[in-house]
Amino acid sequence: MSTFFYLLGYLAFFGFICLAFLKIRSYMKASPLHARWELYPVPHEGEKSSHGGSFMEEKDWWCKPRHVSHTSDIKALVFEVLFLHATFEHNLKLWFRTYPFHVGMYMLMGGIIIVLFSLFLQAVGIAPDNGFMIFIGNVINAVVLFGGLCIVGGGLALIHRRMNDEGLKKYTTPEHYFNLGAFVLFGVLGLLAWACSPSFFNMARDFVCNMLSFNFQPLPSTFFTLHLLLGFFLMAWLPMTHMGHLLMKYFTYHDIRWGDTPTTYSEANKQKIPDMLKYSASWSADHICGNGAPKTWLEIATTNPATPKSES
Amino acid sequence: MKDNLQLTDVSTVEGQMVSIDLDNIPKLPLDMATMPWKPATDEQKNTTACILDDVCVLNIPKPKDRAEEEELVNKFLDGMRKLFTTENNWPFLPMLETSMDYCAQCNSCSEACHLYEMSGEHEMYRPNFRSEIFRRIYKQYVKKEPLAKWRYGDMGLNWKTVVRLGELSYRCNLCRRCAQTCPIGVDNALVAREIRKLFSQELGINPRELHEKGTMHQMKVGSSTGMTPDVVKDNVEFIDEDYTEITGVGIHTPFDVKDADILLLHNAGEVMAWPENIAAFSLIFQEAGLSWTLSSKAMAYDGVNYGVFYDDAQTARIALQHMLAAKELGVKKIVIGECGHAHKVLTVIADRLIPFEYQVPRESCYVTLRDIVMSGKIKLDPSRNDFPVTLHDPCNIVRLMGIVEPQREIVRKIAPKFREMPCNGVNNYCCGGGSGFAIMTRNNIEQWRGNITGRKKMQQIAEAFKECLGPETRKYICAPCSNCKGQIREILEHNDLYSKNSFAYGGLVELIVNAMVNVNPGFIKWESEEE
Ligand code: SF4
Ligand code: SF4
Repeated sequence: MSTFFYLLGYLAFFGFICLAFLKIRSYMKASPLHARWELYPVPHEGEKSSHGGSFMEEKDWWCKPRHVSHTSDIKALVFEVLFLHATFEHNLKLWFRTYPFHVGMYMLMGGIIIVLFSLFLQAVGIAPDNGFMIFIGNVINAVVLFGGLCIVGGGLALIHRRMNDEGLKKYTTPEHYFNLGAFVLFGVLGLLAWACSPSFFNMARDFVCNMLSFNFQPLPSTFFTLHLLLGFFLMAWLPMTHMGHLLMKYFTYHDIRWGDTPTTYSEANKQKIPDMLKYSASWSADHICGNGAPKTWLEIATTNPATPKSES
Repeated sequence: MKDNLQLTDVSTVEGQMVSIDLDNIPKLPLDMATMPWKPATDEQKNTTACILDDVCVLNIPKPKDRAEEEELVNKFLDGMRKLFTTENNWPFLPMLETSMDYCAQCNSCSEACHLYEMSGEHEMYRPNFRSEIFRRIYKQYVKKEPLAKWRYGDMGLNWKTVVRLGELSYRCNLCRRCAQTCPIGVDNALVAREIRKLFSQELGINPRELHEKGTMHQMKVGSSTGMTPDVVKDNVEFIDEDYTEITGVGIHTPFDVKDADILLLHNAGEVMAWPENIAAFSLIFQEAGLSWTLSSKAMAYDGVNYGVFYDDAQTARIALQHMLAAKELGVKKIVIGECGHAHKVLTVIADRLIPFEYQVPRESCYVTLRDIVMSGKIKLDPSRNDFPVTLHDPCNIVRLMGIVEPQREIVRKIAPKFREMPCNGVNNYCCGGGSGFAIMTRNNIEQWRGNITGRKKMQQIAEAFKECLGPETRKYICAPCSNCKGQIREILEHNDLYSKNSFAYGGLVELIVNAMVNVNPGFIKWESEEE
């Protein structure tokens, strides 16, 4: 039975990786080169970004070297992810609910990294009863308590808001409640496991160690087992839902909103445009293909549908 | 008609689904009357599927029988499938797919939308309303995802859904203010534009002002205004003569000068409606000693490209002709005149549609003008602009291109009483005429622009001039974009705000010329001065 449990763990982990890969690949495959669709302010515009300006504010901009501040992009994205700045600015009521929820998840994700770090320390010879390891254990125990409370509190507050806000209610589907409910339950089980065991950290460390060493030992706590089972499910489920924005926000921000690279500065894009124009479109309106065969975008762009047929 | 509107009502309600109660729309400090909705005629009701609200943009013929109803739905679904293929939609598919898959339904975007605010927060105007209908149809009928109804919500698909969704795509100015606020990066304006594309590119359904009278006319005669190359040259010659007399400076607008540095691309609507704008550009460029020209080649004397509002094929065709004309003349760059959408299409959108070897560099006229004004090449006396001035930010140039400061540098230098509107720069609001509405007046569209879409801009203007409202102080609304001017003119005229408030409106170049010391004073006219 415990082997099956661990197999589910591997499955969830690889499921997450595969689905994340598929999502990203599908985004990349949707178009080898999409149109520019930037939206200002764009943080990498350096000083100009403080007023939302762009390189196009410069005379003869195409003659000048292009400066892109990648660190500003990263800073802006990290700031957004860590503080949910857009929601804070534009939907404060929701922010008070969704921020704890997100913080809870970040804490649990961060907790996993700390547990991995502790295993690394153990592998290089630091004893589990070393003072530093005990400190890490206390941190994890605190993180789980705080993170669990945040997920449960934030999740319940979000459910409450979705049920009672007339505007949100109309856009809320059973899946929204299911997802939020699953996270709340996940948090509750984590808290119960925390409350009923001497050290959550020890359980978590042993579990991760077992996973890494293929040692399929049964887990000591039912609540912890259930907490993990639900965690496995959520890990695989998450990329299939709108919560996949966790992965895709990088693209929606970096590649679309801030994707302002002019063709002048991109040899790759210069090469790609003619290839894009070779795609055949089959739009049926009279001014495109009508009832005829598909046409390449090059043919479409170079035909004038307003010219009488005999002249074209 | 529905008070408590639900998403699924688009597929179930019989007859007109919504009517915006004009008593619910916010009151403004300006003396602006609401414009009552005109009831649809019996003929309209019988023949046209105007079943969304009081406005009707698309005039979709009412299906006569079940077969026609089904045909409409099937064609729509065909179009939707195409919209999600790389071959048919490579320029916009990644943005469309992410907008379909990752919306958290948080409604953070609602408050950002001037239509939502100015309709009295009507449900139909939430930016996500139309996107969510489209999304549900996509998941349920095109992607056919398992458990789609449970996961994404149910949506009935019939001819009413299709017609209403088409109309809904024209209840948006495509200003992308909502997109700016979305924490995920979902773009409801893009979704509206994609729906417009589906209708135009697959069903051949589009507003006649944008298609027949717009892009098709431009491709047929050379300009959506109807001006042929000869007519445009004649008209500009008249403008030169008139404004030589008015300004006291000899103006000559050059056409087709080979190897000039600059091809200036005007919105041809300026020639017809705002000749002073054409004259002011010519005067400034001439006095600054620039090497420049207009083109008399069909399409290239009109920077308009309405394709960008509804159809990718038309967009690409016109943008290509603009580039080819510039190549033919051998100019070093195209400077785009005061037209927001022309700026964005040619500089940003065309940048990855037109092969690089056919491209000519594009620059905003705001930048060129800033260079002239700051260089001291023309002598300016700011005291000639001694009246309060505020600046409207055209969405296409400011939020969508990041050109924010050049126009401000000019105005700060030449207009001592310049003041910003609240929510300016990239946080601006659309004038209300954005995405093609500025040139539409039928079927309550005019009423809609006056009551809802243009209302926020007037509120901002009133706020900017709050200490000097009334007829005593002359005020100038600087709106350097042809379509925005059209929209603002409409509201000023309809409410007689020229005399009630001593407003004048116009572009940036008029304000510059008004300050030029070698020009006769009083280039900008207020109503009280006009014969
Ligand atoms: S578009 Fe963005 S802001 Fe609007 S509801 Fe969706 S996720 Fe929220
Ligand atoms: S694009 Fe502008 S008009 Fe359209 S929904 Fe968004 S904010 Fe409203």
